[in-house]
Amino acid sequence: MTNRKLLMGAWNNLSVNLMRSILTMLGIIIGVASVIIMLALGNGAKRQVDEQIRNLGGNVFVVFGGSFNSAGVRGQAGSLQRLTDADADAIEHNISAVVAAAPELRSNVQVISGNLNWATNVIGSDNRLLVAQNWTLSDGREFSAAELGRGAKVALIGETLRRELFGAGEAIGQTIRVNKLPVTVIGVLGAKGQSARGDDQDDVLIMPLDTVRKKISGINRANPKAIRSITVKVATQQDMPWVEEEMTRLLSQRLKSAGNDIPFRIRNLSEIVETRMQAMQVFNSLLAGVAAVSLLVGGIGIMNIMLVSVTERTREIGLRMAVGAKPGDILRQFLVESVLLCGVGGAIGIVIAALTCLVLAQGFAMAAVLQWQVAILSLGFSAVIGIFFGYYPARQAAGLQPIDALRYE
Amino acid sequence: MASVIRIRQLCKQYGAGEQQVKALRGVDLDIQQGEFVAVMGPSGSGKSTFMNLIGCLDSPSSGQIILQGEDVSQLSANALATVRNNYLGFVFQQFNLLARTSALENVMLPLLYSMLPDEQHKHRALTCLEQVGLAQRLWHMPSQLSGGQQQRVAIARALVNEPALLLADEPTGALDTQTGLEIMQIFQALNRQGKTLVLVTHEPDIAAFASRILMFRDGQLVSDQQQTPEDASDALLAFKQGAAS
Repeated sequence: MTNRKLLMGAWNNLSVNLMRSILTMLGIIIGVASVIIMLALGNGAKRQVDEQIRNLGGNVFVVFGGSFNSAGVRGQAGSLQRLTDADADAIEHNISAVVAAAPELRSNVQVISGNLNWATNVIGSDNRLLVAQNWTLSDGREFSAAELGRGAKVALIGETLRRELFGAGEAIGQTIRVNKLPVTVIGVLGAKGQSARGDDQDDVLIMPLDTVRKKISGINRANPKAIRSITVKVATQQDMPWVEEEMTRLLSQRLKSAGNDIPFRIRNLSEIVETRMQAMQVFNSLLAGVAAVSLLVGGIGIMNIMLVSVTERTREIGLRMAVGAKPGDILRQFLVESVLLCGVGGAIGIVIAALTCLVLAQGFAMAAVLQWQVAILSLGFSAVIGIFFGYYPARQAAGLQPIDALRYE
Repeated sequence: MASVIRIRQLCKQYGAGEQQVKALRGVDLDIQQGEFVAVMGPSGSGKSTFMNLIGCLDSPSSGQIILQGEDVSQLSANALATVRNNYLGFVFQQFNLLARTSALENVMLPLLYSMLPDEQHKHRALTCLEQVGLAQRLWHMPSQLSGGQQQRVAIARALVNEPALLLADEPTGALDTQTGLEIMQIFQALNRQGKTLVLVTHEPDIAAFASRILMFRDGQLVSDQQQTPEDASDALLAFKQGAAS
């Protein structure tokens, strides 16, 4: 018996009981579709988080100033401004795995260009910040050493700022006013999109540290070299733990704490995102597990219907045997039928999953990344279900004695 | 003439111990090519068991069946299937056609399990359907055919693999008298073309069309008689005239 005839015969048998076949397939359709959708959602979420980590510039620590503790009154984080430029340099020079340590000062400013204005945060730093925070330049250039040295009135602007102030016009070379200070735009930063917390990362203005310190935020008289924080970029994930220890040791040495003050705090930014991802992964594998159970239930449905079919068609089996079908022929016939049921069900499931992913992505802006490998895999998996759950009924059919089967009422 | 089938000391028992039933107790028999044999006997006489055994649907407890020179008494299920496919054709009382499957496809069914190349299947099936006078009903489903037509499809199916032996189990049992006679007419025509037929019946009227009658009782062959067969065409004509007057 040729494979083509086997397949056609199976197709005929299934189309004769069309309604029943469809209902039987429903279990597989729902199972396969939900497994794929769950995996696609998990995948999308993972990709989103990966992107956030990449934007964040993975493997990053932020060192903040500590809080004062004066006679039991504890100030907010950063209330103790004892970090300085030199601390950033010390971290970069003394810890080998540190790629860049960028000092930062921040201040709220109103930016004006022509008749447009925009409120944003100015960051005073240097080119190391671009490395540490993974910024690229879409236009223009970085700060030159001279500009940094003398505190020149130049700025790099984020994509949002560029759009709000210049629209379609040219930004490079234009003069903007930051509060009252006229500043020349020398570069535009490449877009990064939203941060893990939903902030617009492109709403940013970067100027040389000294410029911000002297002309915008004003000098802290107690500590003229004070900075708000240091962004530290570490070479690899594996280096993170020991770099953190080393930084703590180094900074503790440099910033002798007075009394109960906590001179600095170290925060691991990627950890926040990673924790979120782990939670999401647990949630997703849970959902995929539920989907897999529904696939299993679908498989049992297939077995049930195949058993009914064998009983119903006992006389047909007897006849086929009488005219020369071997037990193996009967086994194959029923196996092909159940595999076909599952295969077609699986294919429909994949189509439904693909459409659902499309709707989720387009209509609800959910990240659903459908991988063709997953689709192929689940099609193969449903065929395996067909074989697994079809084998027992097919064995029952093949094991019938021709005379008993022929006489069956 | 060559023996199509030779049977020696054929025994079949079912069950074991106290419940053991001896369905056949030592049957010896030769059937020659071209014979038309009717098997008769009351129910429980062992005639169905006998048919199942020579039809290779079941294996004997002891004794030998030699079909076309090949000992088929102790073959495996797979080998028996091949023997049935190569040498035997079956006609059943209830036709046993596949529902929702056209006459042509029903006739082609045995070829599905044969070594015959696919291209020849349809031609073979068409020839056999012509032989039983159903060349015009190829695409009809069994439910669209009368009982007599269904049985003729079943006969075409039994012929399609050109069997050495045609076995019919009460082929007229589910048909009215006239249709039954028409079926017997086909069987006689096949026999005249040289087919060897074995037919189980409990109706003496039907057995009268055979050239040899085997009588079974209590698992034994009690009589084996040659006879001059009645002509089914004449009987059909007489029946039609009787019905008309």
